[in-house]
Order: sequence, then structure tokens, then C-alpha cells
Amino acid sequence: MEVGQIFATILYGTLIGVIYGVATVGLNVIFGVLRIVNVGHGAFIMVGAYTTLVLYGSLGVPPPITIAASILLGAVLGLITYYLVIKHLVDAPELATLIATFAIGILLQETVKAIYGSDTRGFSWNLGFAEVLNVNIVYSRLAAALLGLLLLIALYALIYRTKLGLAMRAVVQDKEGAMVVGINVDRIYALSYTLGIMITVASGSVLAIYLQSGIHPYMGEIYTLKGFVIAVMGGLGSIIGAFVAGVLFGLFENASYLILSQIEGIQPLVLTRSIAFLLLLTILLLKPTGLFRR
Amino acid sequence: MTVIDWFALRTSLKRAAPALALYTILLILYFAVPGKSQLIAQILFYAVLGQAFNIFMGMTGYVDFGYVAFLAAGAYGFSIAILLLSGVGGGWMFIPLGLLIAAIIAASLAGLVGAIALRLRGAYFAIATIGVNEGLRYLVEGLNILGGSIGLYIVKDMKELVGREGYQLAATTLADMLMFLLAGVAVLTTSLILSTRMGFALQAIREDEDAARALGINVTKYKIAAFMISGVLGGALGALNWALKGGVVEPAQVFLILYTVEAIVIVMLGGAGTLLGPIFGALIYIGLNFTSNVYIAPVLESAGIKATGLHLIILAPILLAVIIAAPQGLVGAIRSRAPSRLREIVV
Amino acid sequence: MGESRNQLLLAGAALLLAIIIIGAAFFILGDRGEEGATATETGAREGAEAGETPAEEVETLVIGAPLSLSGKYAKEGEMSLMGALAVVNWINDQGGIKVGGKTYKLEFIFYDDESNPDRVVSLVEKLIAEDNVNFLLAPYSSGLTAKAAPIAEKYGAIMLSHGGASDKIFTQGYEFIVQILTPASRYFVSVLDMVKAIDPEAKTVAIVYKESEFARTVAEGAKSYAESLGFEVVYFKSYPADAQDLTPVLQPLKDINPDVLIGGGHFADGQLLARQLYELGIKPKLIGLLVAPAIPDFYDNLGEAAEGIVYPSQWEPKVKYSPDNVPEGYEWYGPTVEEFIQYFKEVARERGKGDIMPSYHAADAGAAILFLAKAIEKAGSLDPEKVREAMNDLALYTFYGKLKIDPETGLQVGHDMVVGQWQNGKKVIVWPREASEADPLYPLPGYSG
Repeated sequence: MEVGQIFATILYGTLIGVIYGVATVGLNVIFGVLRIVNVGHGAFIMVGAYTTLVLYGSLGVPPPITIAASILLGAVLGLITYYLVIKHLVDAPELATLIATFAIGILLQETVKAIYGSDTRGFSWNLGFAEVLNVNIVYSRLAAALLGLLLLIALYALIYRTKLGLAMRAVVQDKEGAMVVGINVDRIYALSYTLGIMITVASGSVLAIYLQSGIHPYMGEIYTLKGFVIAVMGGLGSIIGAFVAGVLFGLFENASYLILSQIEGIQPLVLTRSIAFLLLLTILLLKPTGLFRR
Repeated sequence: MTVIDWFALRTSLKRAAPALALYTILLILYFAVPGKSQLIAQILFYAVLGQAFNIFMGMTGYVDFGYVAFLAAGAYGFSIAILLLSGVGGGWMFIPLGLLIAAIIAASLAGLVGAIALRLRGAYFAIATIGVNEGLRYLVEGLNILGGSIGLYIVKDMKELVGREGYQLAATTLADMLMFLLAGVAVLTTSLILSTRMGFALQAIREDEDAARALGINVTKYKIAAFMISGVLGGALGALNWALKGGVVEPAQVFLILYTVEAIVIVMLGGAGTLLGPIFGALIYIGLNFTSNVYIAPVLESAGIKATGLHLIILAPILLAVIIAAPQGLVGAIRSRAPSRLREIVV
Repeated sequence: MGESRNQLLLAGAALLLAIIIIGAAFFILGDRGEEGATATETGAREGAEAGETPAEEVETLVIGAPLSLSGKYAKEGEMSLMGALAVVNWINDQGGIKVGGKTYKLEFIFYDDESNPDRVVSLVEKLIAEDNVNFLLAPYSSGLTAKAAPIAEKYGAIMLSHGGASDKIFTQGYEFIVQILTPASRYFVSVLDMVKAIDPEAKTVAIVYKESEFARTVAEGAKSYAESLGFEVVYFKSYPADAQDLTPVLQPLKDINPDVLIGGGHFADGQLLARQLYELGIKPKLIGLLVAPAIPDFYDNLGEAAEGIVYPSQWEPKVKYSPDNVPEGYEWYGPTVEEFIQYFKEVARERGKGDIMPSYHAADAGAAILFLAKAIEKAGSLDPEKVREAMNDLALYTFYGKLKIDPETGLQVGHDMVVGQWQNGKKVIVWPREASEADPLYPLPGYSG
């Protein structure tokens, strides 16, 4: 094993980890407040990726600015799906919300497919690179990770430094109590859900800037799955947990590749998937509330 | 448990009668309508899929997103039996042996997964089962076992076992007849569960698991039992539909989450926890699909409108509408509204 | 609330009921309608057997196909459809085909199988039993073909595989399935031959492929062929089908620095692979990828990262197969390349696709129709068994190149792949030499040595 390999593993594990973190927090915000698992999560990420693709590809809008568009689009999609669907299911059995969010995901995928087709698309936003230890450090990937970090900080500030955030946390702690002190719980639900969708769609843009390829209607599914693993790792509902778990997961994936690739006759990158899910099951069994919660 | 509960047996037969009658009608149509036997076989596949899935999801309220893993286990189990017999001989033995191994593997998987994942509730369980399905798929591909990503091809071996004509028969009519048999078994199992202590226990779990536990019901035991029954039926279905009928067992196909989604759609459309629900669900789902595909799309196509692949875009809103407006599905809705005599028949 | 909920529910139930009734109506009426539509055709077949109809009469021969017009193979399916229609139109414009003294015009009918093996079976049965089709194009991919095969064989219909490059399906003892395109195991043969011919110095080959049935068959075939040519395969790694980041699997190549890198899988991952190889600065002398680079979007999506990338292709619009260079032992049949493109464009316009070029998927399907039509003529009969027998002796040279099957298995043994390369934002054919438009760009620009 060469030094360059280890360096690349840490560097790219951390960078993709930050992206994973941003792409997971939305799931956590929604679960934290509404106790709903958004099974259609990945489809919202895909919508964000298309937003960047379309705005940059056909209008030339600089990719970082497309994130703002994604946030707006996320707000619209969030409000629509909340008032049309989720609102009616807040007190329904878990089964109903699991299937409903799933159906929303399918609807988004098929709509995007009907508009843009099922072709895989991509774009080129080349910022150059630096070479260290025979490893190319790709600037556009660094930029994407930084933008993701900014999004996370903004979300953190919103939840821990504003009145709205206070109300949200109050609802999480004690729904009845929050009602008694005059918090409109329904509105908090609507806002939290929408906030979760906004950050998820925005994370799709960040992801698109990071990868710049592989954008197609079904690209989100893998992030739903990875999102679940990361969310459970960090504790469903925890924002900082999602971020830390995202970075850890990125490192874990890359490091397990490095280790597995030493074994002959197996396919390491494919197996990292199995290992990730094994990790998920282990955490679920030993500490279902996540690694960072007491 | 030494005495057979005749009362429960009788009620369960009575319960099963309408569903069995429907399957009999399908069976008659299978032979009576020329050129449509495979359409009926397809409806049958989805009905059995729904029926088997329903035993667990419909009765307990738990969603197993990784359900298709049981079908995969069955398909692999069946293929393993054929590969074992290949070169040894044994002729038609491959079908019973294949189904046996399929059932054993599916049951072991269900037992193992159940023992681990059923300690988790609702959303956590759903997430864990997705993990099991994906984890298994990439294990097969990554370790390059059981043919890896290329999969197992067993047509040649089946032809060697029972000859070309024999295989022809096995992969078409015989496979479909076995599927009908499986449908009957699934219906009878469901109605038997509904008519016994297990059915009441599962219902209690679905309503309120903690209360059920407090009442002294062995919650874990019943959940695992239902999970294993559902899994074994799924395994047999996978064995018949993909291994026997298809002759190729490839991971990208047999671990496809789409099948779980379809099972959910069918059960929800028809009515979760009911006996007739999955049959109606499958009729609606495949009927809608086939009609739009074979009859409506070509007409629109000739009018210059590209109409293929639209069924999912239609299906998703229908699913949402059902969940919001009629969470008990078609059969459930009829049941809760119908006069009591009719209700008795439909239950 | 309760009231409106009830109404919603009733409306929903009514909607579902309506769907069922409409479905049932189609189910029953559909049959009748179909009978009317195919009456002439059925009559023709009975007449053909009895030998009663006058020789001058032009009759219709129906060829059917389950095509993947939606789902994961939708893109390939649409291309196949247009390619098949183009050749059908060409044959009809030539006056159809002559079978035993009678002339038949071709008709092509198809249904969407949604890329789903569980749909394929009922559609194949409908085509054979209801639409009275004896000759089919097989569905795309080997999984779908395997599912359709028993039904087709049960009814004794011939299936021509135009989109299933898998070798494995042809080892399963099917009698009536015939392959048109070069099998997966031989995909990289011409690329490796090219490297061997232009650069005797090249020694090491790295293979990075998508973990799927098709790509792995290609990768394993390429590995053994590379070794037979004396290359050393220094890296053989795969990635999962829906991978979104290949950095871990690619980064080690920076140190290994192979002479040749080949692999890939399909559209999505092929683009990703090309982009990340470029970003990570991995520059072997040659990069050869499957499927993805053959698509015109490849360069639009990747820009500079696409430059110099080489790909094996079943067919390219600029191939130079023509009646003037028919190889020995082969017989020319069908439209010229230009005619095929012209007919294809017409079909594409009619189908609202605008002015597009055919991809090799279109050519595959078109070639399948040609091979079938010629075999029927040679057999002088519409009996599938006789037609299948006639195929064994067929050696056709067409716009698609050579076509010849192995009589035993039905595997394609005649057809050769061409090698294409992206040069200055354009696709050019660089191999085989006699068919090439330009010299290969070799080594890749930026190759570090």
C-alpha cells in the first residue's frame, strides 16, 4: 500500500462523506420532527441534480448559484407534497407514510423522466486540480464539499439560533407542551417537512457539482439507501449526527475498499455495499438510537 | 395442540372459499381463452406475490421492503437443486427437490432475518430489510458466488434431466399449474391463520404491539412465524417463476426492489389483511398495465402520442389516493360499507 | 370531514370499478377486434398451405417483437424499433419478398415490454397465438430473452436476438433462437487487435467493469483474449451497477499506470468512468469503454474528458460495407448503408424524433429483419423449421457487415465489430484499417509514459 493511496482514501473519503452528510440531513429533519421516514428521499436529490444540470447546461448559470434555485424549488415541492399528502397522514399508521412517501418518489422520477427522458446526462465544470503525492486533488470536488458544508452551517444556525428552530425543537421535545404554550404544531410540521425537502433538493445540486455525471431519473435510489444507513448511524433525527456519520461513512466506504482490495478473487467495491449494510444491521441491533446519542 | 381444531378448520375453509373460487375461475380462463394463458399466469404471479406478502404486511402492519430477497432465495434454492442433480440424473425429481431446497433456504433466511430485524419497530424494520436485500445482492456479486453477477443458467440442465419436450412442458403449463397450486396453499394458509389464535395475536400486534405484549401474547413468536410463512411462500413463488419458468437466475433481476413495490401496490389497492384483496389488486394492476400497453398505447401511438411507460405516473397518484382516502383498499372499503351478509362472504 | 372522506372513497371505488370494467371489456372485445384485423393474414397463411391463391396476389407477412419502449432499456428499444421499421419499409419498397412463387409484404407489430421479464411472456404469447406471428425479434437483454424462449419454443416460433449479446443463452440448447450481433465475449477483440498492431510496445492491460451480466461477460472475454495476445492483465476490478463514485477503484491506476485500460458497462457508468479517469489524471495510452461512447451525447456531457476515448461498436453510420466489397463466400442483400440511414431518418421523422442518426441498436434490429427475410426466401416456405434450417447455410453481407451463424447454437460468428474513437469532438472509425476514416489517435493526448 502506498502513501498516495492512503492519502487519496482519506481525502476523497472525507469529501464524499461531507456530501453524504448534506444528502442525509433532510431525512433527519423530517424524521426528527414528524416521525416520518421519507422513502422517496432520493428522488428529491435527483430533482436537485437536474436543477443544476438544466440551469448550468442550458442557461449557463454558475453551478454554485443553482443551489439557490434548488432551495426554492425544494420549498415549492415541499409545500405542495405536504399539504396534498403528508398533512393527511401525520397521525396515520407508519405503513401509510412509508408507502405515501414512496409513491411521491415514484411520481417525481416518472415526471422527470417524462420531461427529460431516461438518458444519463452530465456537464463539465472544470476548475483544475493540484497534484500531491501522485494524487489529483480536484478543485470542483473541493468546491462542492465546501458548499455542502455551508448549507449545513446555515441549517444548524436556523435550528439552533432562531425562534423557528426553537419552536421546532419544542415540538420534538414535547408536542402537547408546545401546543399549550401556543405553538401552531401543524405549521411547524409543514415548515419542518419543507425545510427537510429544501435541504435535500439543495444537496442534489451539491452532489451534481461533485460528480458532474451520472444524472438520470433513478440516480437517487442509491442515496435513499445510503441515507438510511447514515441516518441510522448518526441517530434518526439528529442533524450533527447525520453530518458526522456522513463523513465517517465516506471514510469507512473508502477504507473498507482499500482493505478489501488486498484480498484476491473478490470484487472490493461491490462488497463495500454489503459491508455498509452489515454495519447498518449491527448498529440497528446494538444501538438503534444511533452512535452519538445517549 | 394435540387435538385438531375442527372449528377453526371449518371457519377457515369457509373463509377461503371465495378466494379459491376466484382462482378456479382464473384456472378455467387459463385453458378456455386461447392466447391469453400467459396474461392470466402473469395476473396469477402478482396475486400470489400479494397473497404471500400480505400474510406478513397485511396482518402485522410491518413493511418489508426487502421482501423480494425471499423470492431470490427460492430461485437460487431451486437452481441449486438442479445443479446438484445435473449429471447425477433423477428426472422429474428436480421439481419437488427444487421446491424443498427453495423452501428451506427461504425459511432459514426468514428465520435469521426475523430473529434480528423483528426486534426493530416500524421504520427501523423497513430500513433494515432493505439493507438485507441489497446486502445479499452485493454479497453474491462481490464474492462471485452462485454465478456472481452473471447468474445461474439452468435451462440446459433441466433439458438434460427431463428431455426437451419435458422441459417445454415444465417451463410452461406445469409451472403455471404449480403456481395455481401455490395460490391455493397461500389462500388456505392465510385463512387458517386468520381463524386461529395466531390470527388474533397478529391483529392485536397490528393494533398495538405494546398492549399485545402486556396482555401476555408472545409477540416475537407470532411475528417470526408469520414472517417465515410469508417468506417460504415467497421462496416457492420465486423458484417457480424465475428458476423453473425463466431458467435464468440473475442478481440484477431477482433482487429487484421493484417487485416489493409491486407487492405493496397490489396489497394496498386490494386491501391489506384481506384474502381477496391481493387477487383484486393484481387484476387491477396487471389489467391496467396490459390494457394501456397493448390496446391503448398502440392507438395513441398511431395518433402520434408516445404513450409507453406512463403506467407508473398514473399508478403513483392512485396509490396516494388510496392511502389517503381508502387506506383499507378496495376489498376493505367494500367490507366496511357492505351489508353484513355480503361482508361475511368478502372477509 | 367524514362526509367528504366517504365521497372521496366512493369516487375512488367507482374509478377502480370503471377501470376493471374497461379492462374486462378490452379483454373480451380485444380478441374480437384482433380477429378482424388479422383475418386477411390468417387467410393468407391457410391459402399458402393449400396453394390455392393466385400467384400475383400480394400478401402480408407479419413479424412481431416485444420491445423495451419504457423502463431501463427504453433508449435501445426505441432505436431497435426504428431500425426494424426502416428495413421493413425498404423491403416493401423493393416489392416485398418472394416465397414459393408468391409475394409478401412485411408488416411489423410490437408491444412495449417495459424492460420487464414478467411482461415479456404474455406479450410473446399474444404475438404468436393471437396476432399469428411466427417470426419474432427477441426482447432486449438475455434475462428477457430467457423468459420469452420457452413460450416461443412451445409455439414453434423463431426469435432473432438483436439486442442480447450474451453468450450464455446460446449454450442452453434453444433450437429457434438466433443471434445477430457479435457476442459479448468478443466485444473487445478488435480493440485489442488494434493495439497489438499499432503498438508492439504495449504490454499491460487494466480492466475495470460494471458488475452486470453483460459487462462481466465482456470483461472476462477481453481478459482471456488479451492474455492470448500476450498482454499482461495487471488490474481486473469491478464496481456495482449503480455506483456513483468510482474514485476508490480508479485511484490505484494512477500508480499502476497501465498501457491500456478497457472496460465500462453501460451508459450511466461509462460516462462516470470517463469523467473520473480524466479528473484523477489517469492517462494510459488507450482507454476503451463499452456502450457509452457510442452515444452522440457522450461528448456533450463530458467535453474534453471524452477526447480520444475508443469504443467497440457493432455498427457505425460511416462503415464502408457495400455491394462493391463483398467478401468471398458471402452474398450481398438489403439496403446500402446510405439507403438504410435514409429510411431510418424517414421513420424517425414520422415518429416525431426529428433528424437523428441511427445507433448500432437500430442497425442490429434492421440486420435481424434482413437475415430473417433472406432465410424465408431461401427456405421458400413460411414453416419456422424450414426457415431455421435455411439460416444455417446463409452467409449474408449487408449494410451491417457480415452475418453468419453457428448452426449448432445459433451464435453469431460472422459479424465483426468496428472500433470508433472521439477525435476533436467527432466520432470516427479507426479500425479495422480497411474500413477506417482516420488513423487512431494513439497514444492518448497527455499520456505520461
